[in-house]
Amino acid sequence: MGKTILEVRDLKTKYITRFREDVYAVDGVSLKIEEGKSLGIAGESGCGKSTLALSLMGYYFPPLHYISGDIIVDGDNISKMNPDDIRRNILGTEIAYIPQAAMNALNPTQKIIRFIEDVIHVHEPGKTKKEIYEMARARFEELGLPSSVLEKHAVELSGGMKQRTVIAISTILSPKVLIADEPSSALDVTSQKMVIKMLKNLMEKGYIKSMIFITHELPLLYNVTDDIMVMYAGQIVEKGTAKEMVFDPIHPYSKGLMGSIIVPEAGSRDVKLTAIPGTPPNLKKPPAGCRFAERCKYATAECRANLIDSKEFADGRSYRCIYEAEKLREVYGNE
Amino acid sequence: MKGYRKYFGKKIVWFLITFAAAILLNFILPRLMPGDPVAAITAKSAQGISDASAAQEIYNHYAEQFGTNEPMYVQFFTYCKNAAKGDFGLSFSQYPRKVSNIIGSALPWTLALQFPAIIVGWIIGNVLGALAAYIRKGFDKVLMPVTLFFSSLPAFGLAVILMIVFAINLKVAPISGGYGYDLIPQLSWKFVRSVFTHYQLPFWSIVLISIGGQAIGMRSMSIYELNADYVKYSRFLGIKDRKIVGYVFRNAMLPQITGLALSIGTMVGGALVSEVIFSYPGLGSTILQAVSNSDYPLLSATTLIITIMVLLASFIVDIIYGFIDPRVKAAQFD
Amino acid sequence: MKNTIRQVFHSPKFVVGFVIFALMLLMVIIYPIISPGDPLQMISKGSFLKPGVYFSVYDSINTNSKTIDLPEANQKRLANKLSDTDKVSMVQWLTAAGVPAEDIDMEDTTSLIKLWNEKYDPTVKPEGMTMAQRNFYKRLDKSLDNILNEQPLVVSAQNQETQTLDEIKRISDTDYVNLKDVPNVKVLPLGTDNFGDDVLKKLVSATKTSLLIGLIAGSIATLIGLTLGLLAGYLGGFIDDFIMFITNLFTVIPSFVLLILISYSIGQDKRGASTVAIVIGITSWVWTTRSVRSQVISLRNRDHVNLSKLSGHSLTSIIIKDILPYIASYVVMAFILQISTAILAEASLSMIGLGPKTADVSTLGLMMDWAMSYSAHLNGAWWAYFPVILVIALISFSLNLMNTGLDQVFNPTLRD
Repeated sequence: MGKTILEVRDLKTKYITRFREDVYAVDGVSLKIEEGKSLGIAGESGCGKSTLALSLMGYYFPPLHYISGDIIVDGDNISKMNPDDIRRNILGTEIAYIPQAAMNALNPTQKIIRFIEDVIHVHEPGKTKKEIYEMARARFEELGLPSSVLEKHAVELSGGMKQRTVIAISTILSPKVLIADEPSSALDVTSQKMVIKMLKNLMEKGYIKSMIFITHELPLLYNVTDDIMVMYAGQIVEKGTAKEMVFDPIHPYSKGLMGSIIVPEAGSRDVKLTAIPGTPPNLKKPPAGCRFAERCKYATAECRANLIDSKEFADGRSYRCIYEAEKLREVYGNE
Repeated sequence: MKGYRKYFGKKIVWFLITFAAAILLNFILPRLMPGDPVAAITAKSAQGISDASAAQEIYNHYAEQFGTNEPMYVQFFTYCKNAAKGDFGLSFSQYPRKVSNIIGSALPWTLALQFPAIIVGWIIGNVLGALAAYIRKGFDKVLMPVTLFFSSLPAFGLAVILMIVFAINLKVAPISGGYGYDLIPQLSWKFVRSVFTHYQLPFWSIVLISIGGQAIGMRSMSIYELNADYVKYSRFLGIKDRKIVGYVFRNAMLPQITGLALSIGTMVGGALVSEVIFSYPGLGSTILQAVSNSDYPLLSATTLIITIMVLLASFIVDIIYGFIDPRVKAAQFD
Repeated sequence: MKNTIRQVFHSPKFVVGFVIFALMLLMVIIYPIISPGDPLQMISKGSFLKPGVYFSVYDSINTNSKTIDLPEANQKRLANKLSDTDKVSMVQWLTAAGVPAEDIDMEDTTSLIKLWNEKYDPTVKPEGMTMAQRNFYKRLDKSLDNILNEQPLVVSAQNQETQTLDEIKRISDTDYVNLKDVPNVKVLPLGTDNFGDDVLKKLVSATKTSLLIGLIAGSIATLIGLTLGLLAGYLGGFIDDFIMFITNLFTVIPSFVLLILISYSIGQDKRGASTVAIVIGITSWVWTTRSVRSQVISLRNRDHVNLSKLSGHSLTSIIIKDILPYIASYVVMAFILQISTAILAEASLSMIGLGPKTADVSTLGLMMDWAMSYSAHLNGAWWAYFPVILVIALISFSLNLMNTGLDQVFNPTLRD
């Protein structure tokens, strides 16, 4: 068992809307990543996975607010740190982020190298421009990006190039944790592949010690990450290795998500696509019982009434359902 | 470099086209109107002149210059040829003074008044707009309605109010003119000081008028930029707020520069009326003079000069913009 | 639609703007009903009568008077006659006689006179005051007394036969008439202007004309802008290029210059209010064209438009059903903006003598122009120009507020 790089315990955060309503977007999430491992987080849009990505960095600004929980990066609990310290000492060096809309993540009127200088100067003020340029050039070339990119403005780069530049910038200080929020969703297939390759490359070369990859495309996760978590309405409903999650989902929601994947195989046209009916619950007033109950065909009155706790297996696998795993597998088998 | 060349090439061609269009409009508009412009105009203006031969001379001069008996295109070439030589004929109202001479003495006043005022107003407006967007609460709530009210004031209204308050009640500035009426233009301390004090009210009235619109535009742009993804991303890389505000301000400012190029015409229009209120010896007063004396050659030449001035100003702004916004270069490759 | 309107009326900015604008409209409609008559009728000889209540001196002499004894009456009467220089002299004497400066208030003439009557003593010789000066003060004191001699005024009429003056009536300083008994009273809330016209009445009528000019010019500009924008945006290609070329041209060539040239060429005689409105309208469509076009381009390839195209709907039906509803908010905003720009344009034109013909109609710009030509601002006749500026500012302020409110409703990023 490797060293734990990131541990999150019962993290709760909320949005405060402009109508002063609270939206509990991350409601008691716990997770753990070991050195050299990657974790995928999957879920429908609006399930709170992007909010989780933002919350994991320990730096909050309106409308997002911290409620409770711990975030421990390589032994340091950052959830109690003051925001300025987090910004100076954690962001970029310990935890780095790749935003959802990387297309617009770069200031359009600034040269890439100037931005890299700004990023590095926050954490290593003594570095000269020349050193920074050398460092950036070396890293860019190693990651397969032409060094000419450094002298360009974001507007002069293509979509895929921009995305890879963002990844290179985010990881330039070799952070311990990289949080990638849908880094490839907006790209064409070729660029997608290049991005995935680049992320894997970063892990292999040890520039990042661990990675959290957030997406709504499950098959992607199977190829990229070691473990997968499925998120629903602000909570983790199931966790397991990539293989387990794809081939043996336990929670009815996970099962539903896997069912909604189109597998491009012969005869797959005949496979009925089982999209999950209904919509996620309103997180301003989360349901008292199981959050998935309204959309779950196996739900009972008990499901709706009581909070459901996570059941955990010895190998680390866990799921949040009232039924036993065996019973669920049996039910799925009969369908 | 190729991108820049393309951009500047485009801008130069565009400038030449608008320039030609301006001359064409100036030539064609009066001729599109019903009636014989030459006869009407000349008859009207010759009224004040007792010397019959002088009146006849004017008539001949304009009949020749307008060349109404010639085909349109010949008339146009004559017009262009004369305009290129700076020959706009003789003024009716200040006969036998040359139109080019009258404009020549008014132009420096207008240039020295309007362009600094518009630029200062633009800068102050942008700073206020950016502050309003950045601070939002309170500042924004108070400042914005006030700015909106100021920008709703007509240019001449503000000019009159300034005059009443500062020139008539407080007596800290002269009421009208470009310099003391008892002075002869010359390079003496007394004259320069007089010009300076006379400069204040017209200057600030134009500045105040330009602030409002700019501040409102800048506020919207800045709010838009503050919500941009790169702001969030930069924060998550630990970059300091001060630096990020720098990015935002710069990016919001850039469209404001093109905005300036586009709105310079409107601003000059308002500023001309301010000149009229203060009887400032610039082109605005020249227009009033030309209109009230039915001095057609003077009016036509003044409007042409103003148009060319505005076109040149926006051309220059566009060129500067090309150098500072990299998006311009990138857009040329699309 | 209903929902949108409700949302719009939830925006405080819009509501404030709307209320101001509605009040102005209401005044324009109601005031002529309350106070009918030709707004361009000269009612006073001599220009720039101060605002106030004017009642006939002739009538009030012939009205039955009552006796009212007011203790302050004399001092007020005195105060009215006393010149500023006299007041300064009085203050000088009082100070020299040792009255503390904080007790003397030069602005309050009544109390100054009271103080004077209490303290003045011709026998006192303040230090440093020459004989001549003391004599001056004696004369001043005496003149004050003279104003206050309580002799009644005698009103007399000339006898037609004997050519002698016959006494008709004596008026004592305690005679008062009730204003209600005076048959001829004229209230001039904003005085009269250089022509001797009632400023308030003229202002209301001018506001109406200016609003109409704004409305006509705004409608024309919006119509042209909308049509060109729709054509350019929807059809694209050569038509788009051509329309955009023209639009860009008229963006950089100042519309103010075009306005001047066209207005001048039309000539003073043919320049009525509606002509000016039309000229303003046809020179101010460029911004509408630009914004409509960019909106239409972003709509052009939306699914619902493509669906209509595939279903073989005609161009007009697609534009009316699938495009117009989506750009309606922008068009309304552009229209509102055009109204206020047009009102300002009319005013500016009038200021340089190119406004509508004065004899027929009055507009806000013309009122301003005449007030300036007659130097109302130098004569202290604020009522001739200040209300005009205020009305113009209020109109365009209310329209701008409405626009900002709409903008915040339709562009959520601008909300706080």
